[in-house]
Amino acid sequence: MLRQSTEDLVKSLGSWRLWTLLGWLEVRQRYARSRVGPFWLTISMGVMIGSLGLVYGTLFGQSMEDYLPFLAVSLVMWGMFATTVTEGGLAYISSGQFIRQASTPKLIYVLQVVWRNLVILAHNFVIVVILLAAFGVKNWQTLPLFLPALVLYILNAMWIAMVVGLLSARFRDLPQIINALIQIAFYVTPIIFRPKSLSRFTFLVEWNPLAYLIDMVRAPLIGQFPSAETWGICLGMAAAGWLLALSLTGRYLKRIPYWV
Amino acid sequence: MAFIELKGATLDLPIYDVRGRSLKKKVMRIGRRNTIAEDNDGVIVVRALDNVDLRFDRGDRVGLIGHNGAGKSTLLRTMAGIYAPTSGTISSNGKIVPLLDISLGMDENSTGMQNIRLRGLLLGMSDSEIREKQQAIAEFCELGDYLDLPLRTYSSGMRVRLAFAVSTAVDAEILLLDEVMGVGDASFMHKAEERLADLHSRAEIVVLAMHSNPEIRRVCNKVLWMERGRVRAFGPMEEVLSQYEATS
Repeated sequence: MLRQSTEDLVKSLGSWRLWTLLGWLEVRQRYARSRVGPFWLTISMGVMIGSLGLVYGTLFGQSMEDYLPFLAVSLVMWGMFATTVTEGGLAYISSGQFIRQASTPKLIYVLQVVWRNLVILAHNFVIVVILLAAFGVKNWQTLPLFLPALVLYILNAMWIAMVVGLLSARFRDLPQIINALIQIAFYVTPIIFRPKSLSRFTFLVEWNPLAYLIDMVRAPLIGQFPSAETWGICLGMAAAGWLLALSLTGRYLKRIPYWV
Repeated sequence: MAFIELKGATLDLPIYDVRGRSLKKKVMRIGRRNTIAEDNDGVIVVRALDNVDLRFDRGDRVGLIGHNGAGKSTLLRTMAGIYAPTSGTISSNGKIVPLLDISLGMDENSTGMQNIRLRGLLLGMSDSEIREKQQAIAEFCELGDYLDLPLRTYSSGMRVRLAFAVSTAVDAEILLLDEVMGVGDASFMHKAEERLADLHSRAEIVVLAMHSNPEIRRVCNKVLWMERGRVRAFGPMEEVLSQYEATS
């Protein structure tokens, strides 16, 4: 089982030209014929951060200097995770016409989703850079940690997308369920509020794997070191998740053309 | 040496209706004792291929005949590696190129040139191969400056030309064709036929499904007659084709 899916993964990675192209086309298609193109994403994300920042920063009694970069990093990173997972649910379904006509490796369709969201992340990241430049970097020493954190973050998003995509191809009501869950996760995970500001229901942070994921990529950018516990949990999740995703994919790889 | 071999290949195609697609229904069914009330889980299984034993070797030009729904397209897709057989095995050697759907992988908002690349990659061409053939493809489809316009501005005839030109530019050792005839206007039709003939001569094995018996007589040396997912007859062209004609 694992052999089949790793073979597929290796072949998929090998045809990177195909999935990067497919991913790009999708981004371009959405913003075709508009002057600023994909930077509409940046603009709408910027407006959202600005307005949420003003309202919640005031509500929580935070200084804008601290709160805006915090919120920007949280929202931008969460956006990438959330859309990778929700679009991952449609990875195989929406590529049905390709899957039924040519025998390409299957994981390229998941990689395409991940790639597309990385492209979008790169556009949105402009806001983070601007805010860091405007308010100053808190701690230069923590910045390099962002890179391994980002890799681990993407790896976690991808295994979830693999699992969700596979199950959604078979059970068509799953994408709706996933959408609802992601929505709830957005509210209970410390994205717009700080992890420490929950005085009751702290289990929402302590037992929420997503809280650790978001903390891992956020901390280095706002001048904190992610704790060893955070690294451990995220690493463990990635390892266990990839094992699950690869064995599920290996088990059902051949069924995908029947399902889409 | 190119070959395709199927041994006892059986393919069950599950057809899902709305209920069979629902995770909620599936979860609700867990733990319920009386399954009589809602026994049907919304999945119908169709046996599309039934214990097919075949071997095609180098030099075979196989015409695939049979009524609609006899399993011709399913067989082609199985040989192309799109569907994996439920039981039995399939083994092959050589680069297989399926030309099953002429409209595969075309992006409306990309230009003709970009679509050449996309479709080429999907059909398994390498990047250098595409670059090498791009010019020849552009010349063959005679679209000229239109190639720099997005696909959504194309007429259906132009789309078919482009798709045909890219698909048939692939070097195939084993070529699987599913009734791709009927492309464009008369002059292009003639060109397309020449191109197909050329493609046939380059490939080591050609399998084509079609309903035109004169065409099969012209191109093929063997005929495979499918009926309800089984092999009704397989052998030299004239022998099988005359049997087929006698029954229909």
